[in-house]
Amino acid sequence: MPLNMATKYIRKAYTNFTTHIYDVPPRMLAFLILVILAAVPFAGINLLKLDILTAANLMAILAVSWDLLVGRTGQISLGHAIFYAAGAYGTALLFKYFNWPIWVTIPLSLLCGVGMALIIGIPSLRMKGPYLALVTMAFPLAITGFLYYFRDIFGGETGIRNLPKVFPSLTFFNRLIANYYLSLALMTISSIIIYKIATSKTGIVFISILDDELGAKACGINVTKYKLMSFAISGLFGSLAGSAYAHLMVGSASPSYLDFSNSIIPIIATILGGIGTIYGPLVGTYIYYLMNRYVFQELLPLDQTTQILLFIIVVLLFVIKWPRGIGRAIVEKLEDLEEPREIEEIEKERAKKAEKS
Amino acid sequence: MHLLEVEKLTKRFGGLIAVNNVSFQVDEGEIVGIIGPNGAGKTTLFNLITGYLKADSGKVKLRGEDITGLPPNKIANKGLVRTFQIVRPFRHLPTIANILVALQSYRGRRRIEWIKTPERKAMEMLEDVGLSEVMLEPAENLSYGDLKRLEMARAMALEPELVLLDEPFGGLNPIETEYMIKSIQRMHLDGHTMVIVEHKLQALMKLVKRVLVMHYGELIAEGTPEEIAQNKKVIEVYLGKAK
Repeated sequence: MPLNMATKYIRKAYTNFTTHIYDVPPRMLAFLILVILAAVPFAGINLLKLDILTAANLMAILAVSWDLLVGRTGQISLGHAIFYAAGAYGTALLFKYFNWPIWVTIPLSLLCGVGMALIIGIPSLRMKGPYLALVTMAFPLAITGFLYYFRDIFGGETGIRNLPKVFPSLTFFNRLIANYYLSLALMTISSIIIYKIATSKTGIVFISILDDELGAKACGINVTKYKLMSFAISGLFGSLAGSAYAHLMVGSASPSYLDFSNSIIPIIATILGGIGTIYGPLVGTYIYYLMNRYVFQELLPLDQTTQILLFIIVVLLFVIKWPRGIGRAIVEKLEDLEEPREIEEIEKERAKKAEKS
Repeated sequence: MHLLEVEKLTKRFGGLIAVNNVSFQVDEGEIVGIIGPNGAGKTTLFNLITGYLKADSGKVKLRGEDITGLPPNKIANKGLVRTFQIVRPFRHLPTIANILVALQSYRGRRRIEWIKTPERKAMEMLEDVGLSEVMLEPAENLSYGDLKRLEMARAMALEPELVLLDEPFGGLNPIETEYMIKSIQRMHLDGHTMVIVEHKLQALMKLVKRVLVMHYGELIAEGTPEEIAQNKKVIEVYLGKAK
């Protein structure tokens, strides 16, 4: 059927074309990584160590949400831990006071994250760059004090404990595996959703705000709306990571969620993997966890000071070798392999158009 | 009714009066030029009209509707669009995506015919200014002349009722200037109303029917290019007083 074929051809050309506009990388890489991650529990590793990867999956969600906010919209956040904590405390408080099942408390805790994101987003309307970064850094510190002060509600240092498990009926090892797969699924779904947003027309507006706010205003873009939208999306997924961590891993919500390390790990992961790429933070997080928690602690039993020193050196070497991120370097390699065919197709499309006119 | 009415607009920066009691009107279909020496307040005037600066006193009306003090994006959505003296492209985005940003605004979205995809529309806009070759290049790789044209195309993507062009020929070589003059003329034939601030008087005089002259924040003369060229006050401002 010639007509059918023509439609197919146009659709394909259009996809190629939009792929270039919205900067969509090859999907094969993502699929490959997913397959590897899904196979890990069957690879014969010590299942007790599976928790590290579960934590990595959840941290990856936080890192990706950080990248959407900072790498795409340019609103620097040094206090992303606050969304992590918002999710955990949101679900914990609902459990403590209403005793609702987790299938209700986790989704509601996301609203808590969104609310927190909007509160933090308001200063972003008046401040930029380093000033905004300082304000966002101050938020977790202030909230920590807040949690200690209202001890009756938030439980002070120990926090709210004994949160229900997601899979209470399974045996210990099976639960580890189930937790791992659930976290993997959450990671995959969240990154796909964030990815879809970042490579949509809305995502393009985010980048325009990063590049030139005044220019975006001149284009009639309501910058306020898009900035808050970016904060809200970031907060939503950040708090999802937090509440999932509370139920899957530690079973409690405590002020340790607000640790500065929880704000810093997403940043390290994103810079390792490639800022503003969305897939970069995923690559970065797994490298971080494998290196820090597995290689330095299990394979080479080093003391903690040496660990940190070695880790910093390795990160520096990575950043010097791939200043734009490892993830981006890999994807650019893959794109180089694919390039010739796509250019040909676009040229064909142009030739066809020239014939018509 | 005039398309744009500026009434007694005044802006002070500390002790300096950058724009002093400026009033003028622009009618539909006109091209108006604004000239004046450096520091005369032309760009400040643009910033006041488009909402980038808040005026101390005075009013701006678009089709009789008071738009004084509205934020820039709202003014752009009402159809009063500007370009910048120093280009402001979105450097990380492909050229075509620069246009897509404008099409993503409230006004831009309403202007797209339902049958067209925004990408197709953006492609057409780029073809109009001759940038379809570099459609997928990131804007940071474009030459200065191309960026100027991109800025123009981005403004036109909102299908404005009135365009304020801030030094459209600044930094362009003679060939690019000629090209720019042609595209402005074409836009004028399409029925667009324009106000142009410019230093290159030769290029400007080819385009406009009416010129306003600013000096130290005040309007000192108004008239056709020929009248302005004969005006003693204007010659004094540009060349100094004859002894």
